[in-house]
Amino acid sequence: MGQTRRQFLKTTAVATGAAASTLSFPMVSRGQTKKLTVWWNRGYYKEEDEAMLKIAEDFRKAKNVDLDISFTIQEDLRNKIISALTARRGPDVAFCFYNDWEIMPKYAWEGQLVDTTDTINELKPRYIEKFLEAAYCYDNKAKKRAYYGVPIEAQTMHIHYWKELLKEAGLPDDPAKIPMKWDEYWAFWKKAQDNLRKKDPAKYGKVYGIGMTESSTASDTIYNFEMALLSYNGQVFSDDGKVVADEPKNREAIAKALKFFGELFLSGYVPPDTLNWSDGDNNANFHSKSIVMTPNPSVSIPAHHYFNAPDNYFNKSATIEWPDGPDGRKPTYMIAVKTVILPKDSANKNPDLGKEFVKFVVDPKRFAEYVKGANGRWFPAFKDVASDPFFSRGQVGKGGEKDPHLPTVTKIYLERNTKVFEHWKNPANSQVYAENVWGKAMTRINVDKWSPEKAADEAIGRVKTIVAQWR
Amino acid sequence: MAVGSLVARSTAAAAGILSPRSRNLPGLLFSLPLLALFACFVVYPLFFVATRIFDRYTYEVLFSDPVYVQTIVNTIVYVGVAVNVKLFLALLLSAVLDSDGKATRFLSAIFLLPWAIPVLPGILSVRWMMSSQWGILNLISEDLGLGTHHWLASRWTAIGAIILFHIWKYLPFWTIIFLSARRGIPRQLYEAAYIDGAGPFQAFRYISLPMLGGIYLICTLLSMVFTMGDFTNVQLMTGGGPGDSTHVLATLAYRYTFRVGKIDWGMGVFATALPVTLLFIFVLIKKIR
Repeated sequence: MGQTRRQFLKTTAVATGAAASTLSFPMVSRGQTKKLTVWWNRGYYKEEDEAMLKIAEDFRKAKNVDLDISFTIQEDLRNKIISALTARRGPDVAFCFYNDWEIMPKYAWEGQLVDTTDTINELKPRYIEKFLEAAYCYDNKAKKRAYYGVPIEAQTMHIHYWKELLKEAGLPDDPAKIPMKWDEYWAFWKKAQDNLRKKDPAKYGKVYGIGMTESSTASDTIYNFEMALLSYNGQVFSDDGKVVADEPKNREAIAKALKFFGELFLSGYVPPDTLNWSDGDNNANFHSKSIVMTPNPSVSIPAHHYFNAPDNYFNKSATIEWPDGPDGRKPTYMIAVKTVILPKDSANKNPDLGKEFVKFVVDPKRFAEYVKGANGRWFPAFKDVASDPFFSRGQVGKGGEKDPHLPTVTKIYLERNTKVFEHWKNPANSQVYAENVWGKAMTRINVDKWSPEKAADEAIGRVKTIVAQWR
Repeated sequence: MAVGSLVARSTAAAAGILSPRSRNLPGLLFSLPLLALFACFVVYPLFFVATRIFDRYTYEVLFSDPVYVQTIVNTIVYVGVAVNVKLFLALLLSAVLDSDGKATRFLSAIFLLPWAIPVLPGILSVRWMMSSQWGILNLISEDLGLGTHHWLASRWTAIGAIILFHIWKYLPFWTIIFLSARRGIPRQLYEAAYIDGAGPFQAFRYISLPMLGGIYLICTLLSMVFTMGDFTNVQLMTGGGPGDSTHVLATLAYRYTFRVGKIDWGMGVFATALPVTLLFIFVLIKKIR
């Protein structure tokens, strides 16, 4: 039998009421607990994620917080954060490896990030201060420069090589015996390729001496270019964030740096596929021993071997520094500082709780465990954590072998000249890197056979256009 | 309105169980969830896009970016070549598969395989084959004394690779469509033509082609709409490289939106393609009617 209209409406009203009361009950209950939504970059190793999950669980218990933490891989998390900030529905806390380059400068400029100066001031005595400026961005709405993120860890450039391939090539494999002068250094790796191919063409015919990423899609290319540019004493932005790339001294340095990459590639000492490499491809080529050495930001390559093939880590590979510049000066290292941000338009509008969480994470003991979980892939931004013997001594092999990687990395961070990537000075720089202007300039030389000067001029022109268009 | 439904309606109304107005209300209530979803996932995004694409500055930026101009050329080449070659081959292949015989059935099964293979492993395989260092193409080329080539490291061979993969992957689908259409052509027409002394070419020219003309046009338009929005093939094959020289509109929009962080520019890229896509859809709907 069918329903009358009255019966139908009555049934609907009762059902709706019941549903509403059921749904409202947990909302009231949840409303009494503080809530926090955290988006965290998925680590490269399960130990990292497990360490962070434990920290989140401890925070949940210690502060009686309904904490919702989710892990996402870096590219997807970047896209997710950009979408969320565009829609103004962000998490309370977001940590993505791309924050410092692509997210923080832009959204700080647009006034969408919480000012974290109070947190930074509180943590300041613990910080390795040179890392701090990465978060000192400009808010164009508030018309002020302040900290709009909390730096927690850093990465920089180091060079990994196969000791066993050098032995095969009849060359010294001890880092102390490898020449560190600019020309001799690169010639050394070229010679390794020549010797290997001469020794056994069938086995080593496709092995290359230098695994230099020169693609326009990989961020490794940007690191490589910036390192070479510093070696040639050039700069793109001035200290106050203005474009100085077109000044004669800098233009010449840019052209020289591009020429360096062009010659490496065109002389056949770099794998041809490098023009299409993504950030993981030099790692993959190194693991498969198709390259003798590769420059790589972060310690991801040795860390992979530590977890999967300890013999490779301790005995068959090593880490060495970037060479001295053509003028004989010690190198200056570019450092990217990975930073936590707190969106203003967040899920629970609770920036203070977000800051509490970040401070909880970076507690010395807790944070040391987190960073060690990744075998030092990232270097801590805090002096007390960095002073842990783990970083100066590294891992110890089962037979007592010394760590041939981490002590070199720590020396770079603590003893060498460093320079933080300069997105914080001018957010347009994020676009320069996102467009991979320098990678494209390398393609002009390697594929289109342009002269380095012409490629440099096009790239400088593009940088100027981007900066002029930034608003 | 059918007489039966009129009778039923008047009977129900007379019985006082449901008046026409009261029947609309539950209908509306039951539709509400769907309407809400439609509003959230269609109306709101369209409104969101509309608020962002009417900014002259966005187009000034786009047209001043050489990558955008290059991308328009790439998209025209990609859509033009891939769609036309693919559909022409599909038309020919459908004729082959339409004939009887064990060999044809075996060939059909083999031929459908690319369609069954997911895009990602398919593209990874092609990339591997085209690797300058380890790829089989270069190994063969070296054995033949032709030297090596950086297939994915120069603009036109990379675009060629994308087009070839697209044709390889989607040819079976369109062939099946044409095969179905062919099977709908009355056999008597061919029998009459052969009695009148027509050969295979004439049968194709005067029977198959006119009978398949409509479906061919519809397939072309549909394929153009799909291919213009293709992101996966290009992104996975070249990522727009080397040097941003192989972007198509979809990958460029992605690059602007998520790499550069300029969602307005990404929307602007789609907005510039919209008139062309809408034209295709308009013609398509007109043809179907």
